[in-house]
Amino acid sequence: MFSLFFTHELKSFWRSANTGKTLAIKIVMGILILILFMYVLALGLFLDRILEKAQPNENLTVAFCGILLIYYLYDILLRLQLQELPTLKVQPYLHLPVKRNTVVGYLAFTALFSFFNLWPIVLFVPFILKIILPASGALAVVTFIIAIIALALLNNYLALYIKRKANLNGFVLLIAGGLLALISAGDFVWHLFSLSKISYLFFGNLIKMPALVLLPLILAVVMYYINFAYLKSNLYLEELTTRKNEHKSSTEFPVLDRFGRVGDLVANEIKLILRNKRPRSALTMGLLFMFYGLIFYTNPAMPKGFNIFVGMFMTGIFIINYGQFMFSWQGAHFDGIMVSKVKFADFLKAKYMLFTIVSTVAFLLTVPYAYFGWKIVMIHFIMYIWNIGVNTTVVLFFANRNYKRIDLSKGASFNWEGVGATQLLLSFPLMLMPYLVYWPFIAFGLQNTAYVVLASIGILFIATRNFWIGKLTADFETKKYKIAEGFRNK
Amino acid sequence: MIEIKNLKKVYNGVTVVNVPSFEIKRGESIGLIGNNGAGKTTLFRMILDLIRPDEGEVLSKGQVVAGGEEWKNYTASYLDEGFLIDYLTPEEYLYFIGGLHGQKKAQVDEYLLTLTEFFNGEIIRKGKYIRDLSKGNQCKVGVGACLLQKPDLLMLDEPFANIDPSTQFRLKNILKQQNKQNGVTTIVSSHDLNHVTDVCERILLMEKGRIIKDIATSSSTLAELEEYFGVGQTVSNTTFEFDREENH
Repeated sequence: MFSLFFTHELKSFWRSANTGKTLAIKIVMGILILILFMYVLALGLFLDRILEKAQPNENLTVAFCGILLIYYLYDILLRLQLQELPTLKVQPYLHLPVKRNTVVGYLAFTALFSFFNLWPIVLFVPFILKIILPASGALAVVTFIIAIIALALLNNYLALYIKRKANLNGFVLLIAGGLLALISAGDFVWHLFSLSKISYLFFGNLIKMPALVLLPLILAVVMYYINFAYLKSNLYLEELTTRKNEHKSSTEFPVLDRFGRVGDLVANEIKLILRNKRPRSALTMGLLFMFYGLIFYTNPAMPKGFNIFVGMFMTGIFIINYGQFMFSWQGAHFDGIMVSKVKFADFLKAKYMLFTIVSTVAFLLTVPYAYFGWKIVMIHFIMYIWNIGVNTTVVLFFANRNYKRIDLSKGASFNWEGVGATQLLLSFPLMLMPYLVYWPFIAFGLQNTAYVVLASIGILFIATRNFWIGKLTADFETKKYKIAEGFRNK
Repeated sequence: MIEIKNLKKVYNGVTVVNVPSFEIKRGESIGLIGNNGAGKTTLFRMILDLIRPDEGEVLSKGQVVAGGEEWKNYTASYLDEGFLIDYLTPEEYLYFIGGLHGQKKAQVDEYLLTLTEFFNGEIIRKGKYIRDLSKGNQCKVGVGACLLQKPDLLMLDEPFANIDPSTQFRLKNILKQQNKQNGVTTIVSSHDLNHVTDVCERILLMEKGRIIKDIATSSSTLAELEEYFGVGQTVSNTTFEFDREENH
């Protein structure tokens, strides 16, 4: 039965619309994973040297044993954010004569196929073989490896258990996060206890008493069964899916009412962003980018030319991040928009307005960077003008060439749905254009002129918006059937 | 109202719609029937300018539909859930649609009162997004949004498929009322022959992309259609039913 499930799983992977279609993405993804893997492997191979540098006074084994528990603490945090629940896939089997234990066992089993379970092995085994093997012998190595794998499994099932609980009640995740924060604060901020000492207490003694390996092993098995029992007793669709039954209320944006139909469309799109997982995370990403400047401005070694990029990203990350998937966000109801009394020009105006609103907010949020000098705020302002002038138009131009539907309800992490050549192509003009304008002037030492020209081009594009809207509408008319058809393909 | 000229759509070498010449007059109530794959939805989509025909064109009130905007002012349609903005609450969606036609919120509320019976207390102020509603209730929202637009032309694709019997009954009354009293031209597709022959005065039967029958509804229409869809089994069917009763 397991092997049959497994072949279905493989088929679903290869035949799914967003993995199957573009080979290029698969290759890029494969390379990225490989690079990440190489990095972790290199980290593992050189872990002894790194520890030696970081804690020169400590014995290597002591230092190593000290970091293990801390690693697993952060591992949980990462898993809570990124690891995906293997859930909905069981739906087609629930009503068939398949034993519940088989289905649940399969769910628990597939949870093992996560990259998170591979990292600790790749990271720590080289060190164990290099340092612990010569010092403490083969038995210690075996117990260490078993302990590391067992802890990884413990984390694996603990994280899944917390996530499943959190599906029913969001506070669980908050409590778990708070607990983790408290634990790390207890060590690093308040110095109440030392995680590395606790970690050493266990792993240091493991070398002397191999029987201790049973502790993580038992914990892992217990966690597995808790998870198993929980899944089995909750094998109902409504509890497996992430749908929550809370009261949804209507919202209004009175300010936008003043802008008539365009305002209505903007209000709808703001609701789209706030009420769906993936666009919402595009927005949160944008907020995180507000700290981007801290990396660059605190570092005097950064070349000056970088400031225009930093400014562009901070005031325009939303345009890039959200705009690159336009109009896919509305793919699910694109037919509805096409037949309703919405003029495409209004539709585009609403996009411009949305971008302008979000960029303005982003610009205002970056004003405190005045701490690093008012010139930086000026650059931000220039790039803000550039963003709402040039980049919005570029993004919308590429939106007319995007035929891929996006399922709004799915999360953003490792979600490649809707990603295609358009997004790659789009990044070239966005990255290169400001540089192409800026660089020639800098070459002649005319920095201020460069800024003036950037700002003027931005203002020119804003002033000629209606012209671009006309062009984009005409362009859209030639492509709309293809776009609508693409969005209909699930 | 609607004029079709030499309309043709081909997918991968298969002709899905092929309508040489055809006209729907103002105030007619049209029932579109045909087995799966007959081309009903594709025809709907071409009338609504969602699919580009390979040949020919569709005219609405004498104007070409493709690329035009004028027809959107008087055409209301609901083909599937893709027509709804599913992350909005039903009220937000209906206000939005009303707003597109220049209606204030109070006007929308007032109109929705007339739909109270049709919505049956399951739509308005239930604290749900449209995506959380059942398919039947989504259909009610879609039909409600259509009526709100006070259209001259109303197009519904299989509206009876997901709704409960009471709502089917109410919808039939609404369609008749819209057609008789407001003079709305209605085009409704369905797999239920009873509903179609009940509501529509003119029945179009599609097969493999062609309109093979175009009949004015009369008392014999239902039997005629049943014979076509029963593929000649209508007579033996009744005897079979009878046999089964006897065996009990």
